[in-house]
Order: sequence, then structure tokens, then C-alpha cells
Amino acid sequence: MVEANTFLFNVFLFSLFFNVGISLYGVFVRPSLIKKIIALTIFSDTANVLAIAVGYRGWPSPEQPPIPPVLIGVEPSSEDLGRFINQAVDPLPQALVLTAIVIGLAVTLFLVFLTLQVYRLYGTTDVRKVAKLRG
Amino acid sequence: MRIKKILVLGSLIILVLTISLAFNSGALGYYPLPLPGVRLLASWYLYTTLNPQYPVFTAMSPEAVTAIVWDYRGLDTLFETAVFFLAIVGALALMRGISLKVVLDSKNDNSDGGLSLICKTATKILVPLIIAVSASIALHGHLTPGGGFQGGSAAAVAPLLILVIFSVYFLLSKGVSEKPMLVLRTVGLLGIYFTALAAVFIGLFTGLNAYVFQNQPKFNAPVGLPAQISGALISGSLFFFNVFEYLAVAGGFTLVFILLSVPEEIVKSFVSGETHG
Repeated sequence: MVEANTFLFNVFLFSLFFNVGISLYGVFVRPSLIKKIIALTIFSDTANVLAIAVGYRGWPSPEQPPIPPVLIGVEPSSEDLGRFINQAVDPLPQALVLTAIVIGLAVTLFLVFLTLQVYRLYGTTDVRKVAKLRG
Repeated sequence: MRIKKILVLGSLIILVLTISLAFNSGALGYYPLPLPGVRLLASWYLYTTLNPQYPVFTAMSPEAVTAIVWDYRGLDTLFETAVFFLAIVGALALMRGISLKVVLDSKNDNSDGGLSLICKTATKILVPLIIAVSASIALHGHLTPGGGFQGGSAAAVAPLLILVIFSVYFLLSKGVSEKPMLVLRTVGLLGIYFTALAAVFIGLFTGLNAYVFQNQPKFNAPVGLPAQISGALISGSLFFFNVFEYLAVAGGFTLVFILLSVPEEIVKSFVSGETHG
């Protein structure tokens, strides 16, 4: 018997993988560079959500919901720390996603500038037409 | 063409099903997801992020994500900032030769431009608020969720709003142009550089062992930046990293937004010299 929480979490994970498939289709098949960039951002956002989901922790009981990895109070006692470790989610995927967002944004900015330049020089963003041009 | 499309679709479906199967059968070493607890490494991070009883392990920050980003793996974040820096350098290189002074001079009509008076008045009220909120996100980055990058990107919304509501000419005439933003970004990057080396410099002058990106004292390196200044927790170097990252990101994004909003005819007149076709 599958527990409802686990089943819903698996549905959520599968929809993320489905999203990965759709966005990869957009990157591979759609000819427009703009649509490729949009699909690429969807792909990277999906990967980030997946990383966050891997760092999520289960809900052991209604009294102990998962909390963000932020300690309340600047002088914690050992009970505070114990409660924190028992309830907080994994901070490492969040830090990795923070890095991934910055790098993704930088790459997207650069791609947008490149596409803009391609459009200015060739008058199109269709990769099939750009590939046929000479020079 | 049709067969190629079917092949791509088929392989994508197989990919999605394979990753799903792998996750469902415990590819991460655990089944079922979500895990009931966190991994051992994560509990160690959570245990040491603010733990005055273990002064050689702690990062002295109640916010575990910022502690990881700027303390436990600071070099990685430095390279991330380098990637961001290089992307903006690339964007500037693509737009080379376009002088923003020409953009300002090219405005020949005397109209104000921009959207209606209602939009402009609302923006005048909103922009200081955006700057204040973004500064608070960055300055409290070591205490609450947030940090330099988040605050910087929130701050970059303010010039973006002015660009849309008032027009690029207004922003440029107010002095928010290429040069000041480059200076702001460079100041931020230099600040990150010197904060990373601060412990090394202290170590050189005092003859003690110290590492790059060191925040609190370690076993074989007793040099450490103060975690508190007159009772206020600043978490050693984390506060300074956040402030300088805020400047670098806000400056870089504003620069890119200004370059993206340069009118198309002016850019065309600059790039038309190159041969193509």
C-alpha cells in the first residue's frame, strides 16, 4: 500500500521529469533562437526545483513540520540546536540552486545579447535560415 | 524531417521514463522520497552553522544557506561571481563602440517620453521603497533568508522600472549610465576580492597561519574575523561579502538593462559597418 504523501511526491517528481522532456524538445526541435532560450530557462528552472525537492525532508508528525534552514535567535541553546536539526530541511541543495540561478541568469543574459546581435546582423532568429547564410 | 521529429520525441520519452524509474527505485540511495530526515552532511552543516560551543567549526551565521555559500564553499561562489562578471563582459563586448552619449544626444524631440503621469508618480514613490527593501535583503543576508545576489537583483528592478516608465533618456540624463555602473560593479568585485583575502593579510602581518576565504578561527589557523561588532552579529566576513555582492550585481544588471534598451536605430548605425549576408 502506497502512502498518499509518497504517491503525491512521486507525481510531483514525474511531472518535473515530464517538464524536462518538453523543454529539451523545445531546445532541440524549435527553430527560433528565442524559443530555444525560453525552453532552456524552463529546463534550468526544472532542474533547480528538482534539486530543492531532493533536499526536502518528510513530515514526521504534525507537531514537527519541516522548517527553512534558518536558526531563530542568535544565541542557541543545545535544545534549540537539536530541534533545528530535527526539523530544518537540507541547506546544501538550496545553496547549490542559488549558484545555479546566478550562473543560469548570466548565461541567459549572454544568450539574449547574442540572439539580439544575430537578429541585428542577419534579420532573423531562425537557425535554419542563419545556417544557410554565408559570411 | 518527420522521422527525425519522431526520433527526437521517442528518445525524450524514453529519457523521461528512465529518469523516473531510476528515481523511483532509489537512485539517490534512499527510497521513498521525501526522506524522513536529512543526510549526515546536512545535519553537520545545520549543527555548526551557529554553534559558539564549537568555535573552530562554526560559521557564526544563523542562516545556513549564506553560511554554506560564503563560508563552507566560498571559492565556488567566487567562481560563480566570476561567471557572472564574464557574462557581463561578453555583453559589453558585443555592444562595443556604442556610446551612450550618442543615445542621449539623439533625443531630438522635446517631449518627456514615457508613460502617463499616474505611472510616473507611482514610480517615484516605489523606487526608494525598492532600493530600501533590496538593501535590507542584502544587509540582513547573514541573519534571514536572502543575501547579496537576491538584494542586488531586487535593486536592479528600480532602474528597470525607470527605463520602462520614464524612458532610457531620463535614466541617462540622471547620470545612471555606463561609467558609474561599471565603477559600482568594479568596486563590488574588488570588495569581494579583498574580503576574501582579509584573513590572509591579517595572518601575514601577525605571522599566523591563515587561509583564503577564512571567516572564523580554525584548528591550525587561529586568525578569524570578529563575529560581532559591539553586540551586533555580523558573522565575520559574510556581511561584507553580501554588501559587495549587492553592489556588483546591482551595477552589472543595471548596465545590461541600459544596454538592452538602447534604441534599435542607434545600434544599427553602429553595427552596419560589419559585412554580412
